[in-house]
Amino acid sequence: MEDRENQALLPAGLHDVLAPDAAHEAALVGTLTQAFGTHGYERVSPPMLEYETALIGAGGPGMDDHVFRVIDPTSGRMMAIRADMTPQVARIAATRLSRQPRPLRLSYGGQVLTVRGSQLRPERQFAQAGAELIGPDNIAADIEILILAVDALSEIGIEGITIDLNSPALVGSVISALDAENGKISQLRAALDHKDQVGVAALAGESAGILSYLIAATGPVDEALAKLGRIALPDAAKAEIERLRAVAEGVRAHRPDLALTLDPVEYRGFEYQTGVSFTIFLAGVRGELGRGGRYVTAAGEHATGLTIFLDTIRRAITPSPAQAKTVYLPQGSDPLIGATLRKEGWTTIAELAPDEDPATEAKRLGCTHIFETSEKQPIEIG
Amino acid sequence: MADRLAAPTRPIKRISVSDKEKLVLALPKGRILKEVMPILAAAGVMPEDDFDDPDSRKLRFATKDGALEIVRVRSFDVATFVAFGGADFGVCGSDVIMEFDYAELYAPVDLAVGHCKLAVAAPKDFVEADDPTRWSHLRVATKYPNITEKYYTARGIQAECVKLNGAIELAPLLGLCRRIVDLVSTGATLAANGLVVIEEIADVSARLVVNRASLKTRAGEMSGWTERIGQAVQDRGDAP
Repeated sequence: MEDRENQALLPAGLHDVLAPDAAHEAALVGTLTQAFGTHGYERVSPPMLEYETALIGAGGPGMDDHVFRVIDPTSGRMMAIRADMTPQVARIAATRLSRQPRPLRLSYGGQVLTVRGSQLRPERQFAQAGAELIGPDNIAADIEILILAVDALSEIGIEGITIDLNSPALVGSVISALDAENGKISQLRAALDHKDQVGVAALAGESAGILSYLIAATGPVDEALAKLGRIALPDAAKAEIERLRAVAEGVRAHRPDLALTLDPVEYRGFEYQTGVSFTIFLAGVRGELGRGGRYVTAAGEHATGLTIFLDTIRRAITPSPAQAKTVYLPQGSDPLIGATLRKEGWTTIAELAPDEDPATEAKRLGCTHIFETSEKQPIEIG
Repeated sequence: MADRLAAPTRPIKRISVSDKEKLVLALPKGRILKEVMPILAAAGVMPEDDFDDPDSRKLRFATKDGALEIVRVRSFDVATFVAFGGADFGVCGSDVIMEFDYAELYAPVDLAVGHCKLAVAAPKDFVEADDPTRWSHLRVATKYPNITEKYYTARGIQAECVKLNGAIELAPLLGLCRRIVDLVSTGATLAANGLVVIEEIADVSARLVVNRASLKTRAGEMSGWTERIGQAVQDRGDAP
């Protein structure tokens, strides 16, 4: 038994998606982008791969490690396969849609590919769906994107989410005052991302007290804001907190029952973000359902957006059972009968060769009904 | 195998989880547990009596107030159980956190027990004879291949790690490697085998680890536990 000979083996992190999951995933992307559409977000579809410079330049430094690269045989230039669609949509806004009026609302859905999965998310290819609001830099836009996330998830049947509000700029304003070399700052960011009080105490010097307080302030939004109100912070940090407070209040006004938490030190994955950001969680589901936040496009425009990860969504909801009404059409049935049944919502399976026992064959193929020519209607298989 | 095939291949639908669902606390077997239990007890963790019975084969334990379930796993596995969300929080050494470096793991409280060091060591004779500046490659025996590789990568040396699970001090003596990376508490085991510490990589102590999604989706309960446990550590430090 040679493992290499096994044709079923796929490279790590890549999967065949079978029925009913494949249809389920497509339907989820469809429902999400439709939900974005009802809020005025027009769908765009960028290519799978494009020139490396466009994709990585726009995606920020974090993107560099994540993309597959190939040489374009025609132009000889390096191309990169998208690991995230957001930079592509931002590029579309900055170039082809530069003259379209702002605020510009765009949505997208498609597959992305990353070089390596993580231990907790081994998938290297997965679908994402998202929306970007380009132009305004105000609280109303921040709130719109958050409400959009809640509404779209609700459309696919996900309720009871927790939205964790973040602001990558907040910690930035505290540690920018810190006289530390770059290497130390990235170590400090890593310690903050793990809420590692010991690491922060060792690395942050004079700011350790404030940062340790910020870590401890993480929690339900009202309590966290109260805690943050009790500590002296630089003006820039205070402004960020006030903005978070306003956004939280705005979201509450729309959705009083939504669980909101605040994490002032979260930075991982927000290297690209400049203001109010968020991560979406669901109790009992591993990983993030989605994330988003405020950023500045490569063209210098203000924007905010959200991305929903379909791999996590598929862990959260199972597809509904297969089509409940499937009818077996015996050979020689009038083609019109099939057409009529399909219009009425039936799934039809045609008999391709005469069966000795059509009912058994119908059952074997997963049909719930068989069409009885004599009775001119589908009869449930016992 | 048959059981695994028969098991559902997809997770069950968990759209809205009621807050009544128990939180799961993962605790390590062995040395750390003994030192950590007084702190957890002070914070209100009260395991059922079976938990203290050394003959009990149980892996899951109830608590007296019923709000919490305790699972007992190997120290090295606590981080994994918590990172994957199987347990909501747990206790493990900072060495284990460093080795796995799970993104989904928070370590908000230093329990200030189980102190030791993660260090590079080698037989005394090797240290005297070696000139590491000439090395491009080195074989190291360790339980911590990720930490070891990172450590040597930063020094411009490819580390080829030999993963061992115990008696690591033997490896250089029997010719498996020139260096080991291991936990050192008193240094007695090293000394008894003629090894000396060359460099300390990190100070190690037991930490409270928390699953990221649990901290967000059950924010009230989880902050309650981290605050109580943090307070218990502080009270203990203040005591004479």
